[in-house]
Amino acid sequence: MAAPRLICFSSHFKASSLTQPLFDLRLQTGVFKPRRRLYVCASLLSDSGEYYSQRPPTPLLDTVNYPIHMKNLSAKELKQLADELRSDVIFHVSRTGGHLGSSLGVVELTVALHFVFNAPQDKILWDVGHQSYPHKILTGRRDKMPTLRQTNGLSGFTKRSESDYDSFGTGHSSTTISAALGMAVGRDLKGKKNHVVAVIGDGAMTAGQAYEALNNAGYLDSNMIVILNDNKQVSLPTASLDGPIPPVGALSSALSRLQSSRPLRELREVAKGVSKQIGGSMHELAAKVDEYARGMISGSGSTLFEELGLYYIGPVDGHNVDDLVTILEEVKETKTTGPVLIHVVTEKGRGYPYAERAADKYHGVGKFDPATGQQFKSSSQTQSFTNYFADALIAEAEADRNIVAIHAAMGGGTGLNYFLRRFPTRCFDVGIAEQHAVTFAAGLACEGLKPFCAIYSSFLQRAYDQVVHDVDLQKLPVRFAMDRAGLVGADGPTHCGAFDVTYMACLPNMIVMAPSDEAELFHMVATAAAIDDRPSCLRYPRGNGIGVPLPAGNKGVPLEIGKGRIMIEGERVALLGYGAAVQSCLAAASIIEQHGLRVTVADARFCKPLDHALIQNLAKHHEVLITVEEGSIGGFGSHVAQFMALNGLLDSTIKWRPLVLPDRYIDHGAPMDQLAEAGLTPSHIAATVFNILGQTREALEIMS
Amino acid sequence: MNAAIAAPIFLQSLSSPTASSGPAASAGGGSSIPRRVTLLWGGRAPPSLRSPSTRTRAAARSDGTFYDLLGVPASGSSGDIKKAYKELALKYHPDVSPPDLAAEYTQRFIEVHEAYETLSDPDRRALYDDHLRSGLHVLLSGQRLDEEVDDLSGWRSQWHDQLAKLKQRSKNDSEGNLSWGARMRKRWAESS
Repeated sequence: MAAPRLICFSSHFKASSLTQPLFDLRLQTGVFKPRRRLYVCASLLSDSGEYYSQRPPTPLLDTVNYPIHMKNLSAKELKQLADELRSDVIFHVSRTGGHLGSSLGVVELTVALHFVFNAPQDKILWDVGHQSYPHKILTGRRDKMPTLRQTNGLSGFTKRSESDYDSFGTGHSSTTISAALGMAVGRDLKGKKNHVVAVIGDGAMTAGQAYEALNNAGYLDSNMIVILNDNKQVSLPTASLDGPIPPVGALSSALSRLQSSRPLRELREVAKGVSKQIGGSMHELAAKVDEYARGMISGSGSTLFEELGLYYIGPVDGHNVDDLVTILEEVKETKTTGPVLIHVVTEKGRGYPYAERAADKYHGVGKFDPATGQQFKSSSQTQSFTNYFADALIAEAEADRNIVAIHAAMGGGTGLNYFLRRFPTRCFDVGIAEQHAVTFAAGLACEGLKPFCAIYSSFLQRAYDQVVHDVDLQKLPVRFAMDRAGLVGADGPTHCGAFDVTYMACLPNMIVMAPSDEAELFHMVATAAAIDDRPSCLRYPRGNGIGVPLPAGNKGVPLEIGKGRIMIEGERVALLGYGAAVQSCLAAASIIEQHGLRVTVADARFCKPLDHALIQNLAKHHEVLITVEEGSIGGFGSHVAQFMALNGLLDSTIKWRPLVLPDRYIDHGAPMDQLAEAGLTPSHIAATVFNILGQTREALEIMS
Repeated sequence: MNAAIAAPIFLQSLSSPTASSGPAASAGGGSSIPRRVTLLWGGRAPPSLRSPSTRTRAAARSDGTFYDLLGVPASGSSGDIKKAYKELALKYHPDVSPPDLAAEYTQRFIEVHEAYETLSDPDRRALYDDHLRSGLHVLLSGQRLDEEVDDLSGWRSQWHDQLAKLKQRSKNDSEGNLSWGARMRKRWAESS
């Protein structure tokens, strides 16, 4: 490998490392040259590289509460502001936990954007919601940063109801170009003059919606700016267990080869000139000629973005505030630009060496010590459901060669990084493309393979039509493993899996099940592997197991489909739980027992097909039947009610009550706080029981 | 503009009598006797004028500019350029090139063709001259003294140039541009 060379751009910079520059001009020569390390000087937080465990001094940042306070800063002061902002972000995230790497990568970009544009009149949209920490600090929320991701505190993502400066709420990716185009068109229709800027990452560009939006933006030609923040991190958590993941998909290499060949773009301008001379009224013909010209000249010169009709500027060094300010000022001043795409190259985790060196770039961290970069991991007796799922799937895949796993850029979040390590050729990461993942799985199922799609419950929403039309309608045996079902804590409503029971159980061919503990999870993975004639899904929550013994060798035993189980035999009241809610029911039962009543607790296991015998049994022998689930209306409880109604079970004296998530979005916070807000804690369940029985005094006792 | 279309026509017109009709001529008469077909390009697809490798190589000649390639001075007239092109094309055409040099000559043929395309059209030639004057051809060619420095400063000169182009083309929404955005901009500009 060639020896690294040191380059200093200004007195500010010191030696650090930057992984290979994204843009590689060598391609113009048509000759392959080995990539050399480009060593640029990175700005450090302090000359000696100390990281403060106490609050770092930020004299300039202290004077900036809102972007308007930045307008008179000089270039040098802007750089200093960026440095201070970076150290402030590190300090705050070390106290609260959160997403660190992506925020560090866009510090200079945030400073430049707020310096040049006038938020909130100018709309700035952050596609990667969790890289908005510097944005929040600069827009009047610095004092609230200690409450980040906590109950009643700042959201970890952009949120319109939190601040005027957050123009659009994001949490699932690839939505901002669409939203920005909508805002730009709305501005045009109303005759306003503000600017609209969408910041989107290269990972988000693997999703189709980004291209749908770019295509429309190029066609409508409304003024807007798209900033493509390229840090070459397409998958999360940006690393496998054994090291950094190379970018997924052909798109990443296409971005790498991005070049705007000047002569060829000029030729296109000339071609357009020719087409204009044909005559203003011949719009159709002129457009066709232009398209023809573009097609002729494309191939080596035109970039994908220019093909879609955006003006491409770049690549630009995303850590140089001067460059960014220059470009943004120029583009801002130009009156009729149409859509412009500025390709900015940044480094995730930049400026904090522990993050730069980490394989996952400190994407999401718990509390840590800034001086050493050590994260404080809470110890637990049991592992997370995610890990158990990975173990279960690996055990199944050892036995059955046809089992393959698919995920959408969430190798760490779904636990499939373990599966990848064990079966490198049987794990597929499709990038942030859930819709494609589902239909891809359907295609695999057609060929006799057994695909397991591990997609978070809330992210699967995006692929709903593919689930219905491509999988369920054709009765293809695709298995869906929906992690993060129910309330998810600090990530909030954007990541909350409230709706999956509803939208899966209404599909005619789908088998819907939910484990109540980790042993059940192993068995249900085995069950799903065994169901080979129709699609199936299972949902499990965020969090750790409860500590039951696991099956031998991690290999579960397939359950009988449509059969639940009774956990506690009791009288008068039956609590029929689905999924993790069963644990809350068991805890509620012990609270109720202290007041002298022993209730029945049953685990339904299957929402579809329901255990008819169990429900009939419970209805016959109890006065009250309460169905409990951590899902929205229209889910498990509704299916039970439907069954009971159709079979005349509601015609007698039984009282049926559902306990579901309320009909509103639950804000982010600690998991117990969220459950309390939703009314699904064991205390709430117990109080409900007593309320129905008319024993309101006991109910009040429990709740206070 | 008619790059890909012109090539085959040109090939037909240039194909020398000896290559294609030798056996047929000797056979005489009007009946078409199947003659031995020599596959142009050796059976592979012809190096397309659109494929990245050929165009970029042409655009980045290490031995200089399009003018050097054709062997005419930068101030050469279009007649000179045409003559030089015809000479070189005849020299490098795959049908007439010696078999062991076929691949290399084919590449040069394509490069020469592109040079002629650009320089024969006065508008494109003017743009190309601008391009040379701004010195970016050095950037785009293989002659770089210090690759790393050029990567980042190369980026800078590139986006400076892109910004200039943006301002230039955005002077006003011309009559021909009837996109939705342009119509809205015009409407508000007129009313204010």
